Amino acid sequence: MKYLPLIWSGVWRKPGRTILIFLQVSVAIALFGVLQGMKSGVEHAVAAARADLLIVHSRENLIFTPLPLGQLEQIRSVPGVKVAIAVDLSGAIYQKPDQKLGVVAIRPDDGWLNAFTFTVSPAQEAAFRKQRTAMLALRAVVQKYGWKVGDKVPLMSLVPQRDGTSNWAFDDVGDFTDSDIGGQGDKVIVNYDYYNEARVSNKDTVNHFNVAVTDPERAASVADEIDRRFANSSNQTRTESLLELAQQQEQSIGDLNFLIRAVVAAVLVALLFATTTMMMQSIRERTPELAVLKTVGFTNRAVFCLVLAEAVAVCVAAAAFGLALADVTFPFAARFVVGLSMPVIVIVAGVTLGAIIALVSAAVPAMLAARVQVAAALAGR
Amino acid sequence: MRQFLGILAVNLAGVGQRLGAVLTIVVGVTCAVGVLVSMLAIGTGARRQELADARDDRVTVTHTGARFQGSIPKDEAATLRDMPGIRKSANGEPIVVFNTLVPFEARRRVTGKRIFFPLIGLSGDLAALVPEFRLTDGRMFRRGLHELIASNTCARQFSGFELGAGRPVHGVDWPIVGLFDQGHGQQCVVYTDADVLMSTFGSNAYTRIGAMLESPGSFEQLRAAVQSNPSLHLDVQREREAVEQDFKPLNALLNFISYFVGSIMAIGATLGAVNSLYAIVDARRRELATLRAIGFRAAPIIASVLCESILLALPGALLGGALAWLLFNGLAASPFGFSFNLEVTADLAVIGVVWALVMGLVGGLLPALRAGRVPVTTALRAT
Repeated sequence: MKYLPLIWSGVWRKPGRTILIFLQVSVAIALFGVLQGMKSGVEHAVAAARADLLIVHSRENLIFTPLPLGQLEQIRSVPGVKVAIAVDLSGAIYQKPDQKLGVVAIRPDDGWLNAFTFTVSPAQEAAFRKQRTAMLALRAVVQKYGWKVGDKVPLMSLVPQRDGTSNWAFDDVGDFTDSDIGGQGDKVIVNYDYYNEARVSNKDTVNHFNVAVTDPERAASVADEIDRRFANSSNQTRTESLLELAQQQEQSIGDLNFLIRAVVAAVLVALLFATTTMMMQSIRERTPELAVLKTVGFTNRAVFCLVLAEAVAVCVAAAAFGLALADVTFPFAARFVVGLSMPVIVIVAGVTLGAIIALVSAAVPAMLAARVQVAAALAGR
Repeated sequence: MRQFLGILAVNLAGVGQRLGAVLTIVVGVTCAVGVLVSMLAIGTGARRQELADARDDRVTVTHTGARFQGSIPKDEAATLRDMPGIRKSANGEPIVVFNTLVPFEARRRVTGKRIFFPLIGLSGDLAALVPEFRLTDGRMFRRGLHELIASNTCARQFSGFELGAGRPVHGVDWPIVGLFDQGHGQQCVVYTDADVLMSTFGSNAYTRIGAMLESPGSFEQLRAAVQSNPSLHLDVQREREAVEQDFKPLNALLNFISYFVGSIMAIGATLGAVNSLYAIVDARRRELATLRAIGFRAAPIIASVLCESILLALPGALLGGALAWLLFNGLAASPFGFSFNLEVTADLAVIGVVWALVMGLVGGLLPALRAGRVPVTTALRAT
């Protein structure tokens, strides 16, 4: 404890230099934090994906080959299925061609929300079920376009209606949020029955069924049973849980891991060089002072530790600052990468990294400091 | 000027004695430039690959505002065939190919990972529109039959795309009857007959239309004709623009990541340079004070330190660019499911050098000012 003032004064001996090293370490650790945060954020989101929510889609072609609506009753009769909901997907634009929206047409049967990652307030959910032309919009979309409950929202869809036009109108009855890892795209929910009746082609088909199971432990066997029921039909299915789909999505980011590692390695090499040189320079300048310390009774070991402690103090503080900096940039970067977050492990790794940088770069200078020859140093030789 | 050159020569002569500080600058700049250039090389490689086969006399026609989805009615497509400005083939037919796109699934050979790409239904003379198309094995698909032809890339990257293999389309296996190469494209492309594909998927609209112009200059003629026809709701784009638009989100993402990471590393390297240069200037206080004392003015001293900083950053830039080229040029990368080779070009090297110059200039500014302001008397008196 009594050495703290000594370390403190050592740190601030040359404020300009210390601040520059501090900033340099901060910047490097901030970069580490952002890159690592992307990676672990995605892993975290994948691990949190729901295993009890199954997607039943066509066997050969994820969601792009339609399935007949008639399969719904058969799926519901499979033991272990809690809720099964028909889902049809299409695209639409709002006012301008670059304002795209996903249109999720679902049948709001009892308990439908169990089979989705959506959150809707009970009052708005009831309103949605009551009105055929009702629409729920993702909260971000509502804010973007300033829609209000009660508005009639015109959408230009790619799906033609029976009257020959592609212009649809829905009544905004509320908003929802989506907790799915890939659920950040702009979208709205509409009633399948109304949508299916009004469209010209692909009638009574769906892109996929969402199924919630009663027991998450048995999700895999329920999935197999569903696929088995349709194995001999002309519309074979493949059933996967959201967890499995998220894992597949994660793999496509796996290619970037190499890149992240290479960048972090380059950053560390440059940083180590810079900090080591600065420490050396600092020790060289302070040789007379260190000699004085030794004269008044500091052992070689104490001087060694003193120099190391200074470096660790600066670098660890800088690491903490850098991680805070990274955290600030996250909302900005979240637009590009889904599920960005900084779990505790990244913080621990970042601070440890700061300490390691300090120890490695200060080791040689500290050794030199410990070996200072008192007489020679004081004589200015 | 003579003063400046003299001091600069002295500065550079001392490089050997201050190896640590000098190496800090060089290594810092090397890493920053190396990372920036390597990451930009991903984007450049992608662009090069995308645009390698784009021709000025080919156009892509899509439905106004809609891309990828089937949305061009057959009657509009038929009208387009007779528009002015479109080249006719030897037998007098306009060179126009209708495309209908359906998502198609494959699994990577190595990872077993699922990937989607479009299965393209063709209606028209592909060989006339795409002269770089070359069948390497098997034969062309026959019209009206459930047959596919696949690019050789598919066979290399994905399992089950060999000649004769069957791929499931809408529950039925369609055989692959031919393999082909198409220009520089490294993407997996699978073609079949448009009418068969459309009837299979119950669609009656095309996704996009490719057409050959009489000459690159006929573009305006065709576009004006299409726009002035009230029954057509079509957008005409040069092939290059259409491709660029398709890849805009990917390129924007790659560029953002490159410059984001590159900037942060540049800031780090600049901070390191500032620190090193301060150390160098401080170590030479007496020397600089002596210069001032014997009549050197501050301006040449400041200029010489700045110049030294830039000269130290330059080798870093060259080294960084060279390392990026050695390590990554030609390396195959496949971020986000696209695959292409990284490409380190002269343009990127120039960006790297400019980046380094800025780092050197910014990093040298404050230390240079300090060097110019060395108080002569105190510096000379100090031991």
